[in-house]
Amino acid sequence: MNKPQSIPRVSLTWLLIAQLLVIIPHLGHLPLWVVGLWLGCAAWRVQIYRMRARFPNAWLKGALMLAAGIGVFVSRGSLVGLDAGVVLLIAAFVLKLVEVRTRRDALVLIFLGFFTVVTAYLFDDSMLSAIFSLLPVSALLAAMIGLQQSTLATRPWATAKLAGSLLLQALPLMLLLFLFFPRMGPLWSLPGANAKGVTGLSDSMAPADIAELSQSSELAFRASFEGQPPPRNQLYWRALTLDRFDGRRWSQSGFARLPLQPSWRKQGEPINYQIVMQPSARPWLFSLDVAQTSLEGTRMMSDFRLQRKQPVDRSLLYNLTSWPQALLEPAASTETLRRALQLPDGGDPRSRAWARQLKQQYPQDEQLVQAVLRNFNRQPFHYTLRPKAVGVNSIDDFLFETRSGFCAHYAGSMTFVLRAAGIPARVVAGYQGGELNPSGNYLQVRQFDAHAWVEYWQAGKGWLRVDPTFEVAPERIELGLEEAVAGENSFLEKSPFSPLRYRQLAWLNQFRLAWDQVNYDWQRWVLGYQGAQQLELFQRWFGKVDGRWLALCLVGGGAIVLALIALFLFKPWQHQRDQQQRVFRRFERLLARHALVRQPAEGPRDFARRAAQALPGQARQIQQFARAFEAQRYGGQGQSLAILEQHLRALRRALPWRLT
Amino acid sequence: MIQGLQSRWNRWLARRIPPAKNLRLSQRQIFIIPSRVGAMFILALILMLLAAINYQNSLAYGLTFLLGSVFIVAILHTYLNLSGLMLKSGPAEPVFVGEHARFNVRLESERRAHEAIVLGWPSQGMLQLDVAALSGSDAELGLPATSRGWLRPGRVRVESRFPLGILVAWSWVDLDLQLLVYPRPVEGDLPIGAGLGDDPQEQGARAHGSGADDFQGLRAYQPSDSKRRLHWKAYSRGLGLLVKDFTALSGRDISLDFSALASDTEARLSLLCYWVLQLSERQQPFSLALPGVYIGVDSGEQHRDRCLRALTLFGSSFAEPGAPA
Repeated sequence: MNKPQSIPRVSLTWLLIAQLLVIIPHLGHLPLWVVGLWLGCAAWRVQIYRMRARFPNAWLKGALMLAAGIGVFVSRGSLVGLDAGVVLLIAAFVLKLVEVRTRRDALVLIFLGFFTVVTAYLFDDSMLSAIFSLLPVSALLAAMIGLQQSTLATRPWATAKLAGSLLLQALPLMLLLFLFFPRMGPLWSLPGANAKGVTGLSDSMAPADIAELSQSSELAFRASFEGQPPPRNQLYWRALTLDRFDGRRWSQSGFARLPLQPSWRKQGEPINYQIVMQPSARPWLFSLDVAQTSLEGTRMMSDFRLQRKQPVDRSLLYNLTSWPQALLEPAASTETLRRALQLPDGGDPRSRAWARQLKQQYPQDEQLVQAVLRNFNRQPFHYTLRPKAVGVNSIDDFLFETRSGFCAHYAGSMTFVLRAAGIPARVVAGYQGGELNPSGNYLQVRQFDAHAWVEYWQAGKGWLRVDPTFEVAPERIELGLEEAVAGENSFLEKSPFSPLRYRQLAWLNQFRLAWDQVNYDWQRWVLGYQGAQQLELFQRWFGKVDGRWLALCLVGGGAIVLALIALFLFKPWQHQRDQQQRVFRRFERLLARHALVRQPAEGPRDFARRAAQALPGQARQIQQFARAFEAQRYGGQGQSLAILEQHLRALRRALPWRLT
Repeated sequence: MIQGLQSRWNRWLARRIPPAKNLRLSQRQIFIIPSRVGAMFILALILMLLAAINYQNSLAYGLTFLLGSVFIVAILHTYLNLSGLMLKSGPAEPVFVGEHARFNVRLESERRAHEAIVLGWPSQGMLQLDVAALSGSDAELGLPATSRGWLRPGRVRVESRFPLGILVAWSWVDLDLQLLVYPRPVEGDLPIGAGLGDDPQEQGARAHGSGADDFQGLRAYQPSDSKRRLHWKAYSRGLGLLVKDFTALSGRDISLDFSALASDTEARLSLLCYWVLQLSERQQPFSLALPGVYIGVDSGEQHRDRCLRALTLFGSSFAEPGAPA
């Protein structure tokens, strides 16, 4: 076994199939030339097998590697980072195919393949892709089995069947390991997948951005509550605050990025809930009002938002406790207040004048805020996703001319007016509402639930939330965007096939909700099954647990599972003699249909002789079977059972057909 | 130190797997450990686990655990592929020194198929074969015969890495394989006086080593003729069955006497071996005298084999004929 061996055909077949299956999930983020490279390499390797092409020599191999490296650099702009790393890995995986000569090379290729499957999980960890990944894994195992088989084996399906049964038998053990293997935090940090093209909130907001979000039905996050969720009009999912205004856009100031823990006091009833966020490529987390989380590497920033060290680049599960009535920064620093009063140097003179007028009219801040809200309510403001265009003085134009727009307009203009009137205020960006999945009792919040509202500050009372949109379009808050814009048909107008547009079709809606729940459970119980989740589960099941207990469960459970599999495989109750006996019983049953029943004391030979006399036409076949049976059973002849079967078949064919 | 361990290992092995002509592999005989490929596999799994931990990716954990479980389940499968396999040693023909000794081993399946069974001595190159369910396969193990006497190759290694190659299940079985290695026949003259009588005048009894002038020609085959003298070349040319005819050296029976030869033992045995074969081919009766052994005048295959056996075992401690201790 020392000399290098060539690769059996079965193995090569499965290697090719496995490569295709391994690459398929990566197609979404692979440059096209890699696919071409694969096709070329596969064709080349097949030609080598058919002896119509040669293995590449060292020069060619080097040149190909170099070309692949350059290709990755050109299409990804770098050779490091997860994205480029994966493309490089796949290019190597594809190129290796051409130079696979020996079984050792093939093993390297197979192990590379397993690793490539793992990298696919970093890009897509949905349930469907997990199920799909069983295909390349089976194919890789089949290739591995093929390597052990003799070069004469030519039945690829038998090999795949064996691979499948190995995987199936490994499944219970894998579940045990998955449940009980202790989870730990990352040992070192690695570059994550680039969540490019992810729609979602950003750290600056012009009204058009929100309008764009409102056209997207993509999921932002799901939330499940302990007990009854709060009423819909209380579901203000905070993401971040925007405290800088340049005349057109609201954005996050540099000050807000500083990790300064603001002072606050818990008040009122806490709400406990869990959120599973979709990748957002942003570091902030969503929460109701002000919240605390046990998630590691997360802290509260100066504007009460929760922020992680790294951006959320894959779905993230965290538990939260919110205090909607908490007192937020009753004594804010002058720096904070100064920023909450910032305005551009000029522009929007009418709004500023109106603010001054209001200030004179209402010396009390709270009265002033109410007056602004009343203004939205009384004046002919119109909630629409298709606002009329505004000029340079965008706030003036909106407040006094067009009076049509959506949350971003209302929140932005109100904050402007409050600031101009000397009341510290800021825009809050986040989501509002969400769709309740009745069967799973959780909320789905989508991008079109994006919302903006206002927070203003009062000495001793801290930051207080007001939502000017509610004054204009209460249905947006009470029912949702779809109802708010029902009149103009602008809901998801750019995605005509979104199932969300067909909620009135009951069966479709039910299917959509059920499917969403399956995915949510997958995220919560499979993807989110990390340290805290694991501990929580065990504590719920078994009370207090520790590491020793886990190890015991793992070893004990493993032993039981293994014993069961061994029993299934070895079938110690089954012996060859029984198998011969079984064939003989079939022989007896066959003859019994022709009224020939073996007497209790009659041996096989005597019985056969009697049967042969009774059925002279089939005497030869009967005798043949009996002789073979005797030779195998008593003669100690290590013959094959297949021969007995063959004789029995011959006899059955020779006998006239009879039912019982 | 290493030798001490080796001999202890051998003693332990002899107790655990005593020699037997037929052997059924079971947990008593089968050992199993991860192979080098298995070590690579485990290394790959560790890398995957590191990726799972660092990316906190449950699916990567899942695949790592799945393949880890496959490794464990493969222990059963690898063991199963060897377990229940019957090994039977078949008859082995004697060979001459310098020839290739062939041992027949039959592998039989009791129940299930045994795929990719590897058999042989690691130094000689191993043989791979499949055994279908409830049937058998024959393996012929070759070994160069380098010295005269009983050739006992010792324990045969049976191993299986099927299905995944990540584990190797093996056994060293002693199938009591043995065969006789006859001395290498070396052409040469017999000394004068090899004739049984002591009359030196009887020149006709003198046998020549060259044997060329003893060859008389070809004649038609008769059923009583030895098949060894068939002239196959003539047959292949379509001349019919002919036998090579030798002049029967008239009168005297020939005595092959070890003590009448002058050279070292092995050379004398080689010469005697040559003459045993020559005379048997000519169907001429002869006797063989070795120190301590005398085989009376006779001819025929049985006589030849007896003489060859005596030559082979000359000087060895084994009693003649009898099986080895």
